[in-house]
Amino acid sequence: MKTGRIIKTAFRGLSKNKLRTFFMMIGIVIGITAITMVISVGLGAEDRVMERVKKFGLESIMIYAGGGTEMGRGTGGQPVTTLKLSDADILVSQVGTIDDVSPFSRMPGATVKYQELSANPSIQGVTFSYTSVWDIDVSEGRFISYEDDARMARVCVIAPTVQKELFGEINPIGEQIRIGNVPFEIIGILQQRGTSPGGGDMDNRIMIPLQTLMRRTANVDYISGIKVKLNTTEDLEKTEATITSILRERHKLAEGEPDDFRIITPTEVTQFAEKVAGTFNIFLVLVAGISLIAGGFVITNIMLISVSERKNEIGLRKAVGARRKDIQTQFLLETIAVTFIGGVIGILLGFAGAMIISVIIEMPAAYSWEGIAAGVLFSSLVGLIAGMQPARRASELDPIEALRS
Amino acid sequence: MEKVVQAVNLTKVYQKNNNMAVYALNDVSVEIAKGEFIAIMGASGSGKSTLMNILGCLDRPSEGKVLLDGEEVNKHDDETLAKIRNKKIGFVFQTFNLLSRTNALENVELPLIYSDKDNLTDLAKNALIKVGLGDRLDHQPNELSGGQQQRVAIARALVNDPEIIFADEPTGNLDTKSGYEIMDLFQKLNETGVTVVVVTHEPDIAEYASRIIKITDGKIVSDEKNINVRLAKEELNNIEKSATVKD
Repeated sequence: MKTGRIIKTAFRGLSKNKLRTFFMMIGIVIGITAITMVISVGLGAEDRVMERVKKFGLESIMIYAGGGTEMGRGTGGQPVTTLKLSDADILVSQVGTIDDVSPFSRMPGATVKYQELSANPSIQGVTFSYTSVWDIDVSEGRFISYEDDARMARVCVIAPTVQKELFGEINPIGEQIRIGNVPFEIIGILQQRGTSPGGGDMDNRIMIPLQTLMRRTANVDYISGIKVKLNTTEDLEKTEATITSILRERHKLAEGEPDDFRIITPTEVTQFAEKVAGTFNIFLVLVAGISLIAGGFVITNIMLISVSERKNEIGLRKAVGARRKDIQTQFLLETIAVTFIGGVIGILLGFAGAMIISVIIEMPAAYSWEGIAAGVLFSSLVGLIAGMQPARRASELDPIEALRS
Repeated sequence: MEKVVQAVNLTKVYQKNNNMAVYALNDVSVEIAKGEFIAIMGASGSGKSTLMNILGCLDRPSEGKVLLDGEEVNKHDDETLAKIRNKKIGFVFQTFNLLSRTNALENVELPLIYSDKDNLTDLAKNALIKVGLGDRLDHQPNELSGGQQQRVAIARALVNDPEIIFADEPTGNLDTKSGYEIMDLFQKLNETGVTVVVVTHEPDIAEYASRIIKITDGKIVSDEKNINVRLAKEELNNIEKSATVKD
């Protein structure tokens, strides 16, 4: 007996009843399509997050004022006032792995006006070190200098969205805008930054010198946060621990008292992103997996019907010399072929679907060879399991009984 | 003469629900020599089909033994029996049992799929030429007449060059003329040396065989040489003549 002939026989059996084959295949196609789509989009999203994290800087740490979930706010809704500019200076001088810091403060919503036009960008007070720590520069003009900060100059740098909203085609450098009621001179335009991982527009903001914000406009002595740039990506935990102990000591926090600041490292960010994506993916893959299992049951059912419809054929094959094993192999191959082909079609449709989704949600889709292999393997496995019972039943038919039907 | 089949004291018992034993065959012994043309005759339920199934290695006797080519076959397991059926036995059924949506050539190739032979297409083509269907190779069953379908089935039985062909009511589903054609084909094949066993309940079909075995209630009641063998070819000629006369 040659296996090639049995394979040929199985494919002939499938092609003889195309409608039945189609119905057997459809469940698997849907299941594998769903899985492929979910995994492709999920992988794409993960890639995007990792890309963002790299942009943020793998050798960076963020320190936010406030220990709660809401940045810069205490539990009572009052601003946390304990993070000071001097904290930033101490960190640079005392922690060896810290290369530079960029302290910043956010100003609560103020309307920005240029002549008759107005806008509501976010306003941040920053120092000259911002450009190197955030790895961004101006596209035109110049950034805030040490002197601007020291003399509390009323100058500002605007980001592209603000420029578009207030100035359109006009060159804004040298123009005066009013933040609240205070006039500021525009000295530069920030490079485009795109959307944040959270989907916010990072180009709708205005930078002013930190001292100007603290002393002149907001009249506060605390800051919102510090971005720390390290000179190494190693020992992140150690650095984090050192920063924590220095800040706790400076803020005079007793043992057992919670931190009044929050430190976020890139590891935490990626872990969080992976956890969210992972949970989401597991859930969707589970749903798709259930649909595959349902598809498997449909196949078993249709194959059982097919076996009793084809009793005569089975009896004849046995009469002319087919062994049990031959009949079993033939029917098993029929189901495996259906699920294998269904799996391949599902993967192709899934990729097409992922491509469409990625265009709609503006996120790249990623494809993995492991995913393709897993999809084909898994669908074939469903076929193997679904086909076992019908194949056994077919092989165990008594030829005399089968021929009589 | 060389014996193809030797059956000794065959008994086949079925246990009914009420524990009553029903004897489908009761102490049957029969020998079939190479080149014979035998008709096994009996009413329905007489045990003739059971006998054919046991001699054809599709079934096993409850007691007794069957020797095929001198080899005791009823001891073998299912796998070996399948191999023996494939190599040594050809079956022809009343309802033809051709695979639908499968052309004549592929239907005839079927037994070869399960054999060790290689040139499937050539062997199947030759068998179809032998039964006079050399020009119908790619016709599907629904494109063939009943007589032609049965001839495809006979080609399928012949294709593996078996020791013996068992035909179970081969003319039962055919009109008179097609029936004669099939019996004519069997007679011609027998002349070339093929051993043929036809199972039938029709006395006039049995008359084409050279030996008639009659079975009643699971027992052989007569086993005689047929001295007046009818020739199917003559019947066919008669039909043609009467048709010409009518014209």
